[in-house]
Order: sequence, then C-alpha cells, then structure tokens
Amino acid sequence: MVNAAKRFEVIPGQPRPQIAFTGVTLQLGGKTIIENLSLGVRPGEFLCVVGASGCGKTTALRLAAGLYQPTSGRVDFDGQLMLHPRREIAIVFQDYGKALLPWRTAAGNVSLALEAGGMPSAERPARIEELLRTVGLPGHAGKYPAEMSGGMQQRLQIARCLAQEPKTLLMDEPFGALDAMTRQGLQDEVLALVAASGATVIFVTHDLDEAIYLGDRVIGLLPHPGRIGIELAVNLPRPRDQLSTREHPEFLRLRRQLFDFIKATEQ
Amino acid sequence: MNRNATVWLWRAASFAVAASFIALWQLVANLKLVSAVFLPSPDRAWASLVRGFSNGDLWSKLAGTLEHMAYGWLAASIAGIAIGAIIGSSRIMRTYVAPSLEFLRPLPVSAIIPVAIAMLGLTQAMALFVIAFGAIWPIMLATIHGFAAVEPRLYEVARSLQMSRLAVIFKVALPSASPDILAGMRLSLTVALILSVVCEILAGLDGLGHWVLLSARAFRSADLFAGVILLGVTGYVTSVAMSMAEHRLLAWQASQR
Ligand SMILES: Nc1ncnc2c1ncn2[C@@H]1O[C@H](COP(=O)(O)OP(=O)(O)O)[C@@H](O)[C@H]1O
Ligand SMILES: [Mg+2]
Repeated sequence: MVNAAKRFEVIPGQPRPQIAFTGVTLQLGGKTIIENLSLGVRPGEFLCVVGASGCGKTTALRLAAGLYQPTSGRVDFDGQLMLHPRREIAIVFQDYGKALLPWRTAAGNVSLALEAGGMPSAERPARIEELLRTVGLPGHAGKYPAEMSGGMQQRLQIARCLAQEPKTLLMDEPFGALDAMTRQGLQDEVLALVAASGATVIFVTHDLDEAIYLGDRVIGLLPHPGRIGIELAVNLPRPRDQLSTREHPEFLRLRRQLFDFIKATEQ
Repeated sequence: MNRNATVWLWRAASFAVAASFIALWQLVANLKLVSAVFLPSPDRAWASLVRGFSNGDLWSKLAGTLEHMAYGWLAASIAGIAIGAIIGSSRIMRTYVAPSLEFLRPLPVSAIIPVAIAMLGLTQAMALFVIAFGAIWPIMLATIHGFAAVEPRLYEVARSLQMSRLAVIFKVALPSASPDILAGMRLSLTVALILSVVCEILAGLDGLGHWVLLSARAFRSADLFAGVILLGVTGYVTSVAMSMAEHRLLAWQASQR
C-alpha cells in the first residue's frame, strides 16, 4: 500500500536541492532510528513533515541541522557535505523554554545571533528592534523570557533564528504547545516571513491540517525505523487564507489522503 | 504591603533579641557572675572599640584581616571557577576527577596547615595558600555542578550559531552556572574569614586574629571582646554585601520564580 522510499537523485536541468539526504541511515544507542532516507528540498521550498509520535521527525530535522551525523549515507547543504551545524541553517526548537537564554532579555537573546554573526555592536540595536517588530514583539525588548507567554517566547526564538539570516529554516513542531488562536496567527506570520525572506523551510508537525496549510509538499514518515511513507504535492494557491484555503476541495482531498496514511501507520 | 510589614516585624524582632542579649551580658557583668578578667562589660568592650579605632590600632588590624581574606578569597574564586569550569564542562573529567575531589574535600584544612608551614614558613604566602585552599572547595564544587547542569539545548543553539569555544563559555556556560558559582563564593567568604584569623594567630601576621591572641595573653578582656565583635561584624557585613551583589547579578532569576 505504501511505496518504498525513492532514492534521491539530482536530475539535470532541475535546480540543485538546498538540502539533500542521500541514503541516510542513523543509528543511536544500537537502534536504527532513520533508515535509508533520501530526500531533496529545493531552494525556497516549504516542506512539511508529518508522522506519528516517535517516528523520527525530530531526528531527521537534527540531521538536516548538522546536529547529528548519519551512520551511513550523506546529507548535503548547497552541494557540500554537511559536517557540522552552520549559521545559514537556523533551527526553531520545539521546547522554546529551554532554547532561550533566561539571563538575557528578548533583545539580548536576538543579539546572541547577531554577535555570533560578527555584527558590530553599534549596528545591533536597530536590527534587534526591526527583528522584534517583524515577529510581533515590539516594545518587549527589555523583557526576560520568563516574563513572556509561550507564544511570545516562540516568536522570540523565531526572531533569533531570523537574525541568523538563514538560507534554511528548520522548525520542530514550533506551535505544538500553543493554543489554537495563537497557532493560526503564527502560521500566517511564518508564511509571510518566509515569503519575504525566500528561505527554504522544513517544518515538522503532527497537525495534518497545519502541514497542508503551510507546505508546498508534505511527506509522511513511517516509524521503526523512520522512512518516507507518503509524499504529497500541495497545489493550493498562495497566499493562503485560514478560511478559504481550509475549505478548498484540494485541501480536503489531501487532508483525507494524509489522514488515511497516518491511520494506517498507527495500526 | 503585607510583605513589607512582615519584613519590618522580623527586623524589629531580631533587633529586640540583640538588645536583650546585650542587656543580659551587661547584667551578668554587673553582678560579677564572671570575673572581669574574662568577661568585660559591654560598655568596656565598646570603649575599647572606640579607643582602638580612634588611635588607629584597630583600623590597621581590620585592614590586615580584610586583606588576607580578600586575597585568599579572590585567588580561590579565580582558581575554583577555572578548575571547576574545566572539570564541569567535560563528562570524562567529571567521571574521573570528581571522585578524587570527593576524597580531598572532607579533608580538614587544619590538616594542610602544618604542610603549608613546613613548605612556606610562617609567611604571608603560607596564609594566602591556606586561605585559598580552604575557600576553593565550595566555589569549585559549585562551579562543577553549575557547568554540568547547563541546558544541553543551549549548547545546540550555540553550535548552530557556530559560536567560538570562548564565546560559548562566556555567553552560555558561565552565566548559566552563575547562580551556583555565586552561592559557592558566598559560602567561601566565611571560610576565608575563619582561615585568615587562624593564619594570623599561627603565623603572627598583622590582623584581628593576632590582636585577639595578644589581648587574650595579656588578659585585656575588653580588647579581646572588641576584636571578636569586629570579626563578627566583618563576617556579617561581607556576607550581606555578597548577598546584595548576588541579588543584582541574578536579577533575571527573580522573574523565573
Ligand atoms: N539520542 C537518542 N538515543 C536513542 N534513541 C533515540 C534518541 N533520540 C531519539 N531516539 C528514539 O528515536 C525515535 C524517534 O525519535 P524522534 O525523532 O524524537 O521522534 P519524533 O520527533 O517523530 O516524535 C524514538 O523512538 C526515540 O525514542
Ligand atoms: Mg519530535
């Protein structure tokens, strides 16, 4: 019922993928977490990854970030073997509470990425203000993360990632812990940010609607070991709209297909 | 509002306790329950304090003790943080070095004093070594703990920002460990004061310890008590100052609770 993963290959005439997994297998603690994963993400593409809990979504994202090295196979970024994490690849962690420096204010947390990028200190304040405004946190520059709500902390983490001026943005269930209203607002903000920056995105979520709403393409992972089970192109018009997109017949068709896939993997 | 009132109530209560303690002391002295050779009355101890400060004797003794304490404590802080950071940030070091630290730590510092005297003589260097050796433990162990407890996610953030090793230490690990480190430094402050006095007594170095020793030998109980009171005040004031510094440096923590 489900196709085996296709081997990724560069097709002449097609743009080179920004991130390419080629036959990637990863073992951790003697267990195969990801097996023979091949996948190419085009520059500027918005790729969503879904799958049951524990199927290896986070692990795949960490491979794409260079935080893990594959046991076999290779991960390339812009045609170069990925040997370590790099500033062009920003990662928005799921647990925003742990990914922010509690002793730095919102401005200080954004500043961390600018400092790492070598921006002179005189230029930082203006850039920080701009970034905080971009993610909807103007006027919160002096607040510590602990003084901010979950949604605000996640916005702050996104601001820090944008400060890296990433070519690729990796997001691991970034809105999983947020309430529905905050979530929808942030979905639209991320779409706008990405459209403005032209960044490539790999977005992990367990929310099928969210995946279709955001993505150009959705892949579903199969568990034990993690591999690609389904791949769907999302041909929905952009800009997307919370009401009309979600009522679009194509949206409903994809939703049905994805839903059936997930249900099958859970049996 | 309510909290403020509670704080004031506590202050009033502790003031009352101190006042009644002094009153009791005066009473015991007045009734001559203990010979004046051993127990001066509070007013005599006070007079001795005033005299000591006005002729400058106590000032120089106090300065001596503060100097011993400060040098030893600073040396302990720098070495303790540096060694603690190296051990705490490496799992291998933690596994192999930490157990020997656990063996060395309960060793009473008094056991090291004869060794220090044999090697360095009755000198300032000996005092510095002994004070620093005693005061390093709380700082070093707190630093090891603080470095070991840094949120791993923050190291991943640092890696994806390609931060240099030095930047990771100064911008991530040290600030994260700072509550532990400062708590260790506060504990060490008391240790440093005690050891300063001990070294001054043993080596005859200029300071309150020496003053107290000489006063006791000459049966000048008022001077002896003046010195002891001054030592108490020194301990109290330095630890309050340290708490205030901690409060300022860790202002970000207040919002977390
Ligand atoms: N460091 C690790 N060592 C051993 N097993 C791990 C490690 N990290 C994740 N796993 C296992 O890999 C599987 C996939 O984990 P993960 O990628 O976090 O799943 P997901 O994000 O899809 O929920 C899980 O079964 C998990 O227990
Ligand atoms: Mg996950």
